[in-house]
Amino acid sequence: MNSTVFSLTLSQIAGHRRSLALFVLAIVPVLLALIFGLGDNLDQQEWTANVLLDGLIITIALPLACLILGTSALGSEVEDGTAIYILTKPIPRREIITAKFAAAALVAAAFLVPATVISGLIALQGSTGDGLIIGFTVAVLFGIAAYTGVFILLSVVTGRALLIGLAYVFIWEAFATELFTGTRFLSIRQYCLGIADLIASVDSEDFEANLGGVAGVILASIVIAATLFLAVRRLQQFELTETD
Amino acid sequence: MSTQPTNSIELTNASRWYGNVVAVNDVSFSLGPGITGLLGPNGAGKTTILHMMAGFLRPSKGQVKVAGQPAFENHEMFRHVGLVPEREAVYPFLTGFQFVLTSAKLFGLSDSTAAARRAVQATGMEFAQERKLGGYSKGMKQRIKVAAAIVHDPQILLLDEPFNGTDPTQRLQMMDLLRRMAADGKTIVFSSHILDEVERLAEAVLVIVAGRLAASGDFRAIRRLMTDRPHTFKVRSSDDRRLATALVADESVFGIELNDEHLTVSTSRFDEFIRVVPRVAKTEDIRLHELLPTDESLESVFSYLVKR
Repeated sequence: MNSTVFSLTLSQIAGHRRSLALFVLAIVPVLLALIFGLGDNLDQQEWTANVLLDGLIITIALPLACLILGTSALGSEVEDGTAIYILTKPIPRREIITAKFAAAALVAAAFLVPATVISGLIALQGSTGDGLIIGFTVAVLFGIAAYTGVFILLSVVTGRALLIGLAYVFIWEAFATELFTGTRFLSIRQYCLGIADLIASVDSEDFEANLGGVAGVILASIVIAATLFLAVRRLQQFELTETD
Repeated sequence: MSTQPTNSIELTNASRWYGNVVAVNDVSFSLGPGITGLLGPNGAGKTTILHMMAGFLRPSKGQVKVAGQPAFENHEMFRHVGLVPEREAVYPFLTGFQFVLTSAKLFGLSDSTAAARRAVQATGMEFAQERKLGGYSKGMKQRIKVAAAIVHDPQILLLDEPFNGTDPTQRLQMMDLLRRMAADGKTIVFSSHILDEVERLAEAVLVIVAGRLAASGDFRAIRRLMTDRPHTFKVRSSDDRRLATALVADESVFGIELNDEHLTVSTSRFDEFIRVVPRVAKTEDIRLHELLPTDESLESVFSYLVKR
């Protein structure tokens, strides 16, 4: 990994508007957990697993944060023309991609991991919920890596990465993979839920994933490796298509 | 292993098309040390050629080699090559010095701070090096981009419209810098659509029109081609009819049209004609009000060269 590309990317993606959006995505689950903590009518573990950690963090905050960061880590540079200052250097393209990936994933983790742990602890009133918080934290980390890989790849393949990413998150992940169980093997969200379920030891009545945890780990690892490999390959063949 | 010098550029029947649109068509040339101007009107294909040289476009046909190696998919060539892009975009959150220092670090230089200082000094940008790039003028951005591109002392420097937005003083400073680099044996290639810029700086010129290499070689020879072509002048005088009669007898004139308010005179000898007209007017005691070339746009010059 190239440390100069890494620190340059960190400075680039830490824009005010982007940071504000990430902060909102991280604070909403915490606020919701606080509101939930005021009442005591619901099953704590079931609500925390299904509504807070799955429904809000894994389904919404995680992919959106990675979409914002993954597409801006390289995509906005390509769009505004500053990518040329990195690409005209004798740096192997895999070092550029790994630095971009590491910077985006690090920032995503800095917002999402505290959001998962703090909101989980608040909702479970200080208990770890039979490994629920640890399970979902590990799942979020896998999810960050997989989603960031996908969105970085998208941003070197197309100029419409943000639009395609939004469609993927809200149409494919949120609806299609819920309606058709056969598609669970093609959903990062399902991999994450499988990993959380593998680590946590809660009752299946409270929380149960559609995909096995081991399969989730393997499939998420394949997605991470494949997207990074393809992004490197694509960057090696990158073309500037402005004409004159 | 190639024995080609690290400052050589070679295009062999290079073409590049986008779908059905041909941007560059069967262009061949080889360049070595010195300053070469890539001259052509907007949209002629200059940027496409520069991007092929910089390895950012795969030739659809033919070859583009830099230092003896294919340019495309060859990031190692940037050890010898610097590129100054046309686009104004820079990192607005970095200061001028940080931008050049970042470039030095990305080149993997052992003493990047010293290299960045040298490059900033060479471009005369010390006065603004601590200011954020977001507040730079267009001309300042051009100069700091040059500093970032030469920080590793490249053998080849490619510049895309480098004088855009620069004021006359900045232009002279940058021209001096490029001349010094050329004198040190570097290969400098710059694109421009301004004839005057190319005339003042380039030792050799490649004229690109509609994606084709219309002319190439020594600038003075190309300039002669441009001035010896047929020219049309608009002439207004105190007695257009009598002036027309006198001019038609001169060998430098091959056509005259008498209009209501002026004469349109065609000549194939530019230099001779502009001396003949005042002399004839004086002899005939006619007052000249206006002598104006009507087809001096760069486009008309280029289209003439293409037809040859």
